[in-house]
Amino acid sequence: MATATAITVVLTLAGCAQRSNQGVAPSTGPPSAVAFPETPDQPSVPGRPGGTFRLGINEPTAIDPYNVQESEGALVTGALFTGLVTNTRRGQVSPGVASAWSPNADCTQWTFTLKPGTTFTNGEPVDAAAFKRGWERTSAKDSASDVAYHLNEVVGFDRMQDGSATALSGVDATDPATVKVALSRPDCEFVLRTAHPALSPVPAVAGPAGNPTYNDLPIGNGPFRMDGPWRHDTGIRLVRNDAYGAGPRANLDAVEVTIIPAGTGVQTEYDGFLNGQFDWARMPTPVLSQARDANEPAGQWISKPSTSLTFLQVQNTRAPLDTAVARKAVSMAIDRAAITRGVFQGAQEPATSLVPALFPGAYQPGVCTACTFDPVAAKQLAAQAGLTPGTHLSFQFNTGGGHEEWTAAVKQQLEQNLGLVVDYSGVPFRDLLRNQQQPDATGLFRVSWGAGYPTAADMLTPLLATASIGAATPDDVATGDNRGRYSNPAFDALMERAAATQDAAARDDLYKQAEKIAVGDDLGLIPLFTRQQFRLANTRGFGNLNMDFNDNPTLAAITVR
Amino acid sequence: MGRFVLRRTAQAVLVVVAATALVFLATFALGDPFASSGEKAVPPAVAAANRAKFGLDEPLPVQFLTYLGNLARLDFGVDFDQGRPVSRMLAETVPNTVRLALVAIVIDVAVGVAAGILAATRRHSVWDVLVTVFSTIGIGVPVFVLGVGMVATLAGVGPFPPVPRGFTATVPWYREVLLPAITLAAIDAAFIARLMRGSMLEVLRADYIRTARAKGLPERAVIGRHALRNALIPVVTYAGVSLGVLFGGAIITETIFQYNGVGYLLSRAIVNNNAPVIIAVVVFSVVAYVLLSLVVDIAYAVLDPRIRLG
Repeated sequence: MATATAITVVLTLAGCAQRSNQGVAPSTGPPSAVAFPETPDQPSVPGRPGGTFRLGINEPTAIDPYNVQESEGALVTGALFTGLVTNTRRGQVSPGVASAWSPNADCTQWTFTLKPGTTFTNGEPVDAAAFKRGWERTSAKDSASDVAYHLNEVVGFDRMQDGSATALSGVDATDPATVKVALSRPDCEFVLRTAHPALSPVPAVAGPAGNPTYNDLPIGNGPFRMDGPWRHDTGIRLVRNDAYGAGPRANLDAVEVTIIPAGTGVQTEYDGFLNGQFDWARMPTPVLSQARDANEPAGQWISKPSTSLTFLQVQNTRAPLDTAVARKAVSMAIDRAAITRGVFQGAQEPATSLVPALFPGAYQPGVCTACTFDPVAAKQLAAQAGLTPGTHLSFQFNTGGGHEEWTAAVKQQLEQNLGLVVDYSGVPFRDLLRNQQQPDATGLFRVSWGAGYPTAADMLTPLLATASIGAATPDDVATGDNRGRYSNPAFDALMERAAATQDAAARDDLYKQAEKIAVGDDLGLIPLFTRQQFRLANTRGFGNLNMDFNDNPTLAAITVR
Repeated sequence: MGRFVLRRTAQAVLVVVAATALVFLATFALGDPFASSGEKAVPPAVAAANRAKFGLDEPLPVQFLTYLGNLARLDFGVDFDQGRPVSRMLAETVPNTVRLALVAIVIDVAVGVAAGILAATRRHSVWDVLVTVFSTIGIGVPVFVLGVGMVATLAGVGPFPPVPRGFTATVPWYREVLLPAITLAAIDAAFIARLMRGSMLEVLRADYIRTARAKGLPERAVIGRHALRNALIPVVTYAGVSLGVLFGGAIITETIFQYNGVGYLLSRAIVNNNAPVIIAVVVFSVVAYVLLSLVVDIAYAVLDPRIRLG
């Protein structure tokens, strides 16, 4: 019967209106049967100076810390700057410019002790003032930074954003060797945020955020420095910073970042790896199997789980999905495994939780009990919730993102398994966002999310906390990330307690309880698929070549063989 | 002639203003460019600050008039992504596109005219059949198929640089331009060959050709001096218009070869919803096209004394 389901999916893709008279039985086989399992990290080898590492990326929005956002920007800014701390793909924090850090008892005051004597590549000292300067540049109203929200817990942030202050009052830099940060609410994991490149220190020469010279030629304190200004739409060349003081020096002489077009980016990276121009590349989904077969034996294939999750945003406050029973009926009518096999060819996995496996302390596989495919139970729940056959259900996705195939399969499964009439439409991303934000939005929307910092809190709070709705009243537009308007005081209270809990195990336990309520019991959103990240990597030429938290190569560690 | 140029210039200004208005409306309809960053919603205060920074808080007619005023001073504004002057982006890409267009047009006119003459003068020969077959294939194959095929087979071979290639690898312009120019020329050359063949056959039947032959002129002079000049008129029209289109940027070809021209610039701007760049490239393309058609009209008069401008 699993085959039958898979065939149904394929038929849907082929545009056939084939329907089965019988219900579809649950897929057999464990949902965790991934086609492309995780590959181990490269063994650590001693480094030696030399070599040029080459890769292609899309044009970043910015490489100046004040507005660094996507993984491309993080690649360059992360090589040019070192923040208070650094983290690994799995969220292990290690010292950056700070040698030690600690919060006060309720985690509203953080103290970072800086390593003495480190400098920017122009010789300016990396002191507490450099951090304060950088954070003020990111949060100032005039900067209009898309990533200022990383600082939203710092006292004085709101006054920076509305332009009534020019200094971030919560950051105390009076002692050059200590950064003291006051938070407006407890956060025992604030240190994780300081690893984000938007919170890098900047030298005085940076000037205001709108300084075009510095925007294109940032002077940093990282393991690499710019070799000439950013050549827009062409490339960025980085060379080793031999005066690097915040950690071990990089091995590579240079990193050559060639900028490739966004429209054909993934294919171009793959072509560039094949023709020997690039040492690191993504691949288009259709060639994954073939690329893996060709490159895994040589150890050139990297496969890693990520925090990226595709889910259905559910409008929790509007009929027909304003009850947990109705939401569970919809969720249980979706055969995730059939879609991951038929559409994604194993590049994504069925999700059974919101918190990803990458955060093992808080990970609860199966916490979403309604994430298992069970059309019989789904039908019963639907009847109970008044989702009778013929009920209209809106389902929107954004076009141009490769979502056509799997959303069509979901639509078809909901119609077949529940007899719903799915009003299915694809709209440009901006329209999708606007439609989701409206107070009268109903039904389902396609959304994906990845954690900005390695903590379960960055999956749970933005997507499910009441404060993240961003609407003062139910009649307002939802400007936050919780656009499904899920709200449960019990969940909010657990997340607040977790934020003020210093002990990691106790905190993870609170995260688990919170997720059990919001996802397990209430199903405030419907998790669908978790995404794997795949890369081809020239491990013959380079050692210590691994993937960092932003899915980029670990430039500071790479060495020529 | 003076009045003709004046009238056409006035028309051109109208066309540019109308085209600008259309594309302005179209990009406006795309919605607020600052509402989202990647797939994340931007806080309303930040989005509003960005809209104010770029003047998008003004009513649309005011925005448009401001844009036209700036345009008259050749100021294309700054792009939404990084705030770079758009005129500088055009200045970096236009020379590349002009170079590509000129090389392509030289190849396609040379090959197309030669093939057309060959087919017309040796009608029903094996040459004629070959020209017909190849020109049919050339017209039938879409440019993206040809371009992708060229990249897959020829890029990185012999004089052709690899695609993609690391940005620090320097390649002389004539090598970089070669493969995209051949791709663009292949389709136009096929069309020109057919055009040339047809118009040549027609001219060769004309009375004055019989007169020329009766006078005892050598065949070379009959074809070269008398027939060719008249048969070229439709080809000049087509090549002129084609050059106008090419100056506006070959979006697909430039993108496939990652050739840094205005077409590639436009394709990137569309993917990023970067309205100021989209508008600027469209305005530039319209101006290039209008200017080239003016040149073509003047070239008519030179080629054919029966055509009078005025």
